[in-house]
Amino acid sequence: MKLDRGLLLNFDWTLFILVMVITLIGLLNIYSACLSISIPGQTPYYIKQIQWIIIGFAGMTIAFFIDYRFLARHAYIIHGIAILLLFVVLIAGNSARGSQRWIALASFSFQPSEFVKLTIILALSKYFDAHQLSRGYRLKELLIPFLITIVPFLLILKQPDLGTALILLIIFLAIILFVGMDYKSTLMAAAGGLVMIPIGWHFLKGYQKERIFTFFSPENDPLGAGYHIIQSMIAVGSGGFLGKGFLKGTQTQLRFLPEQQTDFVFSVFAEEWGFIGGIVLLLLFLSLIIWGLNIMLHSKDYSGALLSFGITMLILWEVFINIGMVLGILPVVGIPLPFLSYGGSSLLVLMTASGILMSISVRRFLLQK
Amino acid sequence: MLKLGNRLDVYEPGQLKHKFGILLIIVAVVLTILALRLWYLQVLKGDDFRQRSENNSLRLRKIKPLRGLIMDRNRKLLTENRPSFNILFIPDKARDIKKSIAKIKWFYSLNSLELAGNVSIPDKLKPFVPVTLERNATMEKVAVVEIHSFELPGVVTEITPVRQYLYGEANAQIIGFTGEVSRREIEQDITGHLSPGDNIGKFGIEKSLDAHLRGKSGTEQVEINATGKIVRSLGRIPPKSGNNVVLNIDLELQKAAWEAVGNRRGAVVALNPKNGDVLTLISSPSFDPNIFTGELSAGEWEKLSSDPQHPMENRAIAGQYPPGSTYKPIVAAAALETETITPDKSIYCNGAFKFGDRIFHDWKKEGHGETSLHRAIVESCDVYFYNLGKMLNVDVIAEYARGFGLGAPTGIDLPREKSGLVPTRQWKKDRLKSPWYAGETISLAIGQGFNLVTPLQLASAYAALANGGTLYRPRIVKQIESPDGRILQSFPPEIKGLLPVSAPNITTINKGLWGVVNERGGTGYLLKNAQQDVCGKTGTAQVIGLPQNAKEKKMTAETNDHALFVCFAPCENPEIVIAVILENAGHGGATAAPVAKKMLDVYFSNKLPERSPSQGAPASNKVQKQ
Repeated sequence: MKLDRGLLLNFDWTLFILVMVITLIGLLNIYSACLSISIPGQTPYYIKQIQWIIIGFAGMTIAFFIDYRFLARHAYIIHGIAILLLFVVLIAGNSARGSQRWIALASFSFQPSEFVKLTIILALSKYFDAHQLSRGYRLKELLIPFLITIVPFLLILKQPDLGTALILLIIFLAIILFVGMDYKSTLMAAAGGLVMIPIGWHFLKGYQKERIFTFFSPENDPLGAGYHIIQSMIAVGSGGFLGKGFLKGTQTQLRFLPEQQTDFVFSVFAEEWGFIGGIVLLLLFLSLIIWGLNIMLHSKDYSGALLSFGITMLILWEVFINIGMVLGILPVVGIPLPFLSYGGSSLLVLMTASGILMSISVRRFLLQK
Repeated sequence: MLKLGNRLDVYEPGQLKHKFGILLIIVAVVLTILALRLWYLQVLKGDDFRQRSENNSLRLRKIKPLRGLIMDRNRKLLTENRPSFNILFIPDKARDIKKSIAKIKWFYSLNSLELAGNVSIPDKLKPFVPVTLERNATMEKVAVVEIHSFELPGVVTEITPVRQYLYGEANAQIIGFTGEVSRREIEQDITGHLSPGDNIGKFGIEKSLDAHLRGKSGTEQVEINATGKIVRSLGRIPPKSGNNVVLNIDLELQKAAWEAVGNRRGAVVALNPKNGDVLTLISSPSFDPNIFTGELSAGEWEKLSSDPQHPMENRAIAGQYPPGSTYKPIVAAAALETETITPDKSIYCNGAFKFGDRIFHDWKKEGHGETSLHRAIVESCDVYFYNLGKMLNVDVIAEYARGFGLGAPTGIDLPREKSGLVPTRQWKKDRLKSPWYAGETISLAIGQGFNLVTPLQLASAYAALANGGTLYRPRIVKQIESPDGRILQSFPPEIKGLLPVSAPNITTINKGLWGVVNERGGTGYLLKNAQQDVCGKTGTAQVIGLPQNAKEKKMTAETNDHALFVCFAPCENPEIVIAVILENAGHGGATAAPVAKKMLDVYFSNKLPERSPSQGAPASNKVQKQ
């Protein structure tokens, strides 16, 4: 088939290599982060992460070979399934640390909320591709995108998983701003948003409010939520310019930080590799994001442009919020660091999303407008 | 309604150029914020944070839990936890580890080089794990360390609860002791709660019930300064004390037995025949378990483990002795049940029994004359039982011995119990590769030969005779209680089986046992004046197969006979069974019976109504929480 040959000839090696390099850095980092907590008789985290990388690679390959327009066409069904899984989680999911996020599948457990991050991009892309306007959208024209977002948003908030819910909201806002809103509607939405803040605050759980308070004065609660911020900043800061070296992060090996293999994984990296390592990692992310936006720019159709925009924004904001949290400039919310945090669902979703990006990238050479 | 139903397709590739530019700016700004923050934390403030991570850092400190207490049946404490001072070294607090080690070595110049040796190999990956320099340090030493803390960076003191055994040697083999957990034990622990420096049970009840006694560590977040000292506590999760264990042991009886045995080698077991409660379990010589709570030197350990007297062996459950004449009632039971003899039938004893070309002597040279079964038990007539041995088959005797629980572990709740030995034809063929000789059955019938029993088995077998035929599993542990006194687990009596002996035959035998103590000529006549009717049986077991006539010629401490005595009281409705074995102590009636007598005196004079669990207030742990 002609298409197949084209897929390989025009393969986006830059994107592929960037993703794999960041993923492998993440793997080394998890190895270090979990060195001091390996439990005899239990599969070490880094081994599990390798298994997830292989699964993620499969997801990426499949996503690459499937035409993204096929995915876009079935976006509502896919998104619907993801929402259905969120219901399943609420009813029958496995609890961990007081929240229900996981569904156990054989020996793996996965988190439907991670998948929703991707399906929401698909669904919103389909909507705005199907309803293109040369002017800005009005509020009532955004009702369906709003519903696409709010349903999973509320389900995830109920889990409760503030971080993931926040990401959905950010993706929604980014895409709305991207497609453009009517001037009047923008003002109204902004006003409405301001009104919603105190109401939303009311619905936050005690510990969630506490985290936000804590963010402003971490020293007041050194054993609770502030502990993470302080320890994280000490770990990062003590890394200095050159870092303490691989496997030599004392804060890391001391297990000052709980969850250091997931949400706080960047502190491990920054402690051991220092400012130099941190900047290299940020540059890798920068390259990845710019490359993603480049794919958006050169996409042959609106659907591909929207999809690549959404995926790129997902990576950008997760990187910013996660690292910002670790560096003490944003409140602590549970958002994984793309490709680096331990956790199969996040990795699988992001690698699949990269596969979609590659699929868009390669098809700009194949599709004739 | 919206007019968005129709696809407009207004998209032109390249129309996003303007947005692409804006997005680039946003991405650049966002990532620059992170880069600047990273610069601020790592480069501008890097030294501060490094200082904080190295010196004035927050640390999660483990708070050791109080170990559960062990009590006797009347809730008298057998263990306590008292505060002890440890001196620790935290390698990562020492600026120069080599220098610090040299200083510590100088500081400990006198006798603790072994300890300093520990310090020379700090785990490179875990420089923050404290190394114990000295446990149980004296107050003076602690004070000196505190005063010199500036010269000894990384050397800190801590207070931890330490186990104390209140009646050291007397209970050592039952209660056991605790010690610092080994690397292997940590790896094998499935709960995952153990970490270096923890104390766990290593022996006895401390070991077998460790999971209950251990408790759960708490954590405390503390700020520590450059020398590793705790500056302030920022919050803590309190530790959870371990559960308490109540034993069936009666402390008073235990002490009485211990004193009565004195410095002789041997074992004493007392059981409640009605349920298998172990009231006393003594093994002598013993050791002081308190030495394990301190830093046991290699020399001390060597001395203890290589002592030819084996003070760490629990002779009561693992000492295997020929039962001697205490075996006779079992042979009698076999003979009665198989109708080999009747109680009325007499056998004439002239002091010797000829079998083939061999002559078996009676302990009484002049003989017992015309002897009935009753008199044979009372006077312990050997010739009578030689005759039974001739009439009985070795395998039949073995079958009945097993019926009395011999030849197999009793199942007591202590580790390392031995099974003793009930010889059979097959056993000899398998083990010694030789056929069974009829002459061997004859010496077997008086409890000599290959027979081996543990003191506990003997007590358990007699307990079954005493209660009319029920064999109970002996139980040391009565119940496990939570620190606030709730009963978490109790261990009710367990019937292991019934004696293969009819009630009339048990009565016949028990009458003989009554005669041993209460009839003129009885070998246990010494006990006759006790406050209660006592039934019993003496025994004297040959240590090695010396020719009987050679015995009188030379008696050394190693070749002297073992003295045995087993008794129960009151004869009607017995409450206590006592088995005493004294190694190389001569005749059972003369040496072992007085030990039992002293215990019976204590038992019947001190006997108080047993407190019900609800009355007993939970004993409080003595160490104050830190």
